[in-house]
Amino acid sequence: MLSADILYLPVSELSKRIQSRAVSPVDLTRAYLDRSEKLGPKLNAYARLTPEIALEQAQAAEKEIARGHYRGPLHGIPYAAKDLLAVKGVPTTWGAKPYENQVFDYDATVIENLRRAGAVLLGKAAMIELAGGMNYRFASASQGGATKNPWNTSCWSCGSSSGSGAIVAAGLAGFAIGTETWGSIICPAAYCGISGLRPTFGRVSRYGAMALSYSMDKIGPLARSAEDCAHIFAVIAGHDIKDQSTLPLDRAAFTYSPAFELSAKPLRAAWLENAWPKIDPHAEKPLAAAARSVRRLFPGTASAKLPDGPFEAAGGVIISVEGAAAFRDLIRSGRVAELADPLGQITGYVNEQIPGADYTRALQVRAILQRQMAELFDSFDVLVAASQPLGANAIDSNLETDLDFPDPLGGIGNLCGLPALSVPCGFTDQNLPVGLQFVGRAGDDLSVIRAARTFEQHTDWHRRHPKLA
Amino acid sequence: MKQGKDALTRREFATRAALGAVGVASDPAAAWSAFRRDGWPAGGPRQTPEEARKLSPQGLAEVENRYQAILAQYPDRFSDAQKADLRHVCLVTQQSLDRLRAYAVSNADQPALYLKPLVEREKKSNAPPNLKSAAPAPPGKPAANAPPEKP
Repeated sequence: MLSADILYLPVSELSKRIQSRAVSPVDLTRAYLDRSEKLGPKLNAYARLTPEIALEQAQAAEKEIARGHYRGPLHGIPYAAKDLLAVKGVPTTWGAKPYENQVFDYDATVIENLRRAGAVLLGKAAMIELAGGMNYRFASASQGGATKNPWNTSCWSCGSSSGSGAIVAAGLAGFAIGTETWGSIICPAAYCGISGLRPTFGRVSRYGAMALSYSMDKIGPLARSAEDCAHIFAVIAGHDIKDQSTLPLDRAAFTYSPAFELSAKPLRAAWLENAWPKIDPHAEKPLAAAARSVRRLFPGTASAKLPDGPFEAAGGVIISVEGAAAFRDLIRSGRVAELADPLGQITGYVNEQIPGADYTRALQVRAILQRQMAELFDSFDVLVAASQPLGANAIDSNLETDLDFPDPLGGIGNLCGLPALSVPCGFTDQNLPVGLQFVGRAGDDLSVIRAARTFEQHTDWHRRHPKLA
Repeated sequence: MKQGKDALTRREFATRAALGAVGVASDPAAAWSAFRRDGWPAGGPRQTPEEARKLSPQGLAEVENRYQAILAQYPDRFSDAQKADLRHVCLVTQQSLDRLRAYAVSNADQPALYLKPLVEREKKSNAPPNLKSAAPAPPGKPAANAPPEKP
């Protein structure tokens, strides 16, 4: 049986052992499956495991590698996919009771791309019902109950990619796939002490993924390092004829090698002064230390401010209206009442009533904001700020009252489709992880990866993991 | 069917029906008294009628209209607690809409739409077929640019 130390290795190191045949993909898959069966239910991390698929894919990978056909860094690496990605023949519940028996007869493009790269699907990760598309008040807004944080099981792993975050942090898989409409990759990455990449809108195909907000949904990796995120992103990025919102081939595709960074220009970084109006006192110390590290690692780091405007309101209106359209049948049929969360049961009715003129105005505001952010990125390559202004909240928190703070960077970043990468940067005095995010110009995912990787090369927060029985 | 001068269009009918159902709520003062009367349930939403007072009378009327329109459309769906929650969500939504509407945009400000990939695809599909470069059809199969077979 492989040790937990092996199971916590980043993909970049696991892949070397697999390629050299020091680690067998079948053994690795079995070890992750055993650990997932043991710890997954304690954390509510999985919607379901797919052991038959996993072992079949692992055996195929092992045979290919033995024949000398090595596909690349994800070959033979087990992963989990958020339960809103279609996997042929496997229930895809979108985390919600009304869809508990939903089965698709095709694979999402992301699943297909990962299969082609030789990755091994371990199971479907738990998630907040409908990715929070009908709103939610409690972490328990999920078919399997609230996902617990591996660092402290009385705390939440954050959502909506709640299972994806917990699975990576608990060493239940090599990496996981999540999605973000607003905060659903960056927040679980921060709360769980792992690395998470929210790619530029349009770089990863959403074919076969549940739609919540057609103009804001994005798919990205949660992993143990920024470098891992880059390798996974390189596999899942690209134009897809089945998803008309993907960027053209030359702007969607992403290739990566750490060697690319050797000849690259130094990054121009700016610390965002107004990303959060207030930092929780428990998180102040690690974030202050992270800010000092950023200024040391990126000489000339300036201070910058986000533009003022109703950008959170615009993002909220767009998500609400597009979500009401995406789930119109669920709302009108009344089956929205089957959702677990009291807020989720009613918000769709209100969102249906938002006037079209307000939606269009939100899109006008979005265009203005895109220009303002493009101007800001004329001076900087990356903007840096805390991923969240606090460590993980208690699992029974009322999110509406206890986490009632503005998130202008989340609003702006998602409204403009900007890439962001969250990396661990320390711990609160309650031993909960704290995250730091790097945000870049639309299309410049490489800069956020470079910046995050530079931070991780000079710190060891991403190598720490929770002790789980 | 040609409509007479006084006939209602379907949209007008729907609008008037909704306004009729929420006649009380179209009056801001009445809307405010509805908030005072109903209040919020214990342990329910954080917004209080005092916070609702921050909205303009028009905003408050819009909240009440939206709330009543939902009840009119779905009369039997909500418990009392859910009704209070619904009104709360209407209020929070209104606060967002008010912030959005207060931001100056001009007639010339185009909305940000993600239609470029679609436009490119349409251009390609409208392009005349390149007969010279069309691959020859394998034996027994029609060429890619051959007209569809008639049933």
